[in-house]
Amino acid sequence: MKNKGIGIFVVVIVVLIVVVVVIDALSNRTGKRGDNPYKLEIDQYYKVDPAMILYKEIRQIKLGDVKPLGLDYSNDRLYVLLNKSLKIVSPRGEELSNINLPDTARCIHVSGDLMYLGFTNYVGQFHIDGRQIKLWETLGEKAVITSIASKGDQVFVADAGNRSVLRYDTHGQLLGEFGGKRNIDDLHGFVIPSAYFDLDVYDDELWVVNPGMHALENYTDEGVLRGFWEKTSMKIEGFSGCCNPAQMTIAPDGTFITSEKGLVRIKAYKASGELIGIVSPPTNDSEETHAPEVAVDESGGVFALDFDRNMIRYFVKK
Amino acid sequence: MGKDGHSRRDFIQTSVRASLFIAIGGLGALGASRATASHTVWQIDPFKCTQCGRCATECVMAESAVKCIHAYDICGYCDLCGGYLKPDANDRATGGENQLCPTAAISRNFIEEPYFEYVIDEALCIGCAKCVKGCTAFGNGSFHLQIRHDRCLDCNECAIARVCPSEAISRISIKKPYLIKGKFEVIPSVEPPKSSSKK
Ligand code: SF4
Ligand code: SF4
Ligand code: SF4
Repeated sequence: MKNKGIGIFVVVIVVLIVVVVVIDALSNRTGKRGDNPYKLEIDQYYKVDPAMILYKEIRQIKLGDVKPLGLDYSNDRLYVLLNKSLKIVSPRGEELSNINLPDTARCIHVSGDLMYLGFTNYVGQFHIDGRQIKLWETLGEKAVITSIASKGDQVFVADAGNRSVLRYDTHGQLLGEFGGKRNIDDLHGFVIPSAYFDLDVYDDELWVVNPGMHALENYTDEGVLRGFWEKTSMKIEGFSGCCNPAQMTIAPDGTFITSEKGLVRIKAYKASGELIGIVSPPTNDSEETHAPEVAVDESGGVFALDFDRNMIRYFVKK
Repeated sequence: MGKDGHSRRDFIQTSVRASLFIAIGGLGALGASRATASHTVWQIDPFKCTQCGRCATECVMAESAVKCIHAYDICGYCDLCGGYLKPDANDRATGGENQLCPTAAISRNFIEEPYFEYVIDEALCIGCAKCVKGCTAFGNGSFHLQIRHDRCLDCNECAIARVCPSEAISRISIKKPYLIKGKFEVIPSVEPPKSSSKK
């Protein structure tokens, strides 16, 4: 009787040990832990009013395994920068050509028959068939060219490393440079904590993103500030983080299309800074944090280069 | 001046270039650290870490051996620092109500308009990765976690590695015991442990 009692006791202990070990093993499995007590609480900013989403995604153009680096749209062609090469595809996704480049370019601007490529610290001018016309003078070790735009016979180059905008003629002759101070008494001009510094030309006017200030600034060709708007907020109306909007382009109707990192969202604004609506809402279902590069076509459709998923997403107004 | 002769102003200038290379997928220094060696230690790959919070809660030490490291050459010295300020902070100021860090382990020091330096007090840091998440998402990703070998017991099986959802923790050569994001390494190498496990 006594032995039987000991036996039952041993069996109970063994069962208990097995249960504890199994529970411990299961609870240690990755993904089986409870909530993170130190979670960064930003979930509320992913929720947007569906009525504010004015665009719908109608196409995805997959770009393969190579990481894309830059995008522009011109005359029914998409120009996609890859590592030391340029892929030209139709807006429907058919590959039209693949051009080898002498170096890795990180931004591209197409104007008529000419392409301007930003090779980290110098600009390369090419014909759209891929013929190299001229490599412009290097801007030095600190330069990081992040955006190029043009109007008439002037080319504007954003240099994030030196926090300045350079103005060239179409032959690569430097005409001027400015650092974005608002007034002569201002302590600082462009505030650029990382390699995001975009600009575009609309209606002959130069618009430059001042990302550290969450501002869009309108300058004369010579760099005199004409006007600006800025909006700092995690909420949908504004821009958040250190350097937003990270990407920007202006549609033919004057709508500003902005793209943000962190809370990855693409939005449409009036030139006054008033939010028109959302092109692509933020999602928290992945770890994507890179701001897609944006380009627009003649009808105002938005191409977004998704660096995290190696694809171009195409959005049109609903 | 920084420890290697670089001034803060140099760091501010270099951060743009460094952030560019971070954005395009990692830095050479990290790859170079993956040498094989007979003596190894546990370490976090900052590019794999997804800031889940378990480094604070799962270490066998009462106070985690994981600490936040700051790569100054990557930092943007931002006024609106995503690693320092709460997302809905009312003010860009040092008041406790604005700070993201649960232990107030980060100090914010003015350098010049509009740049600020952020310094981690390791004694207060619990390795929770909240600041790392904020900095990675909204800044340049200069905050990152590392297992500090002057605290780590070098367990046979790292209790955090067992549950890390990103498989970010593995054994690496003791000759290069840290996987620092930036170029300016400020953490000294450690002596090989006398035994491979003390647990
Ligand atoms: S457990 Fe892994 S993913 Fe989570 S904070 Fe630690 S290293 Fe990062
Ligand atoms: S937020 Fe967490 S990881 Fe960052 S310094 Fe504070 S305690 Fe350390
Ligand atoms: S090896 Fe042990 S002491 Fe070191 S971090 Fe992992 S659990 Fe903590």
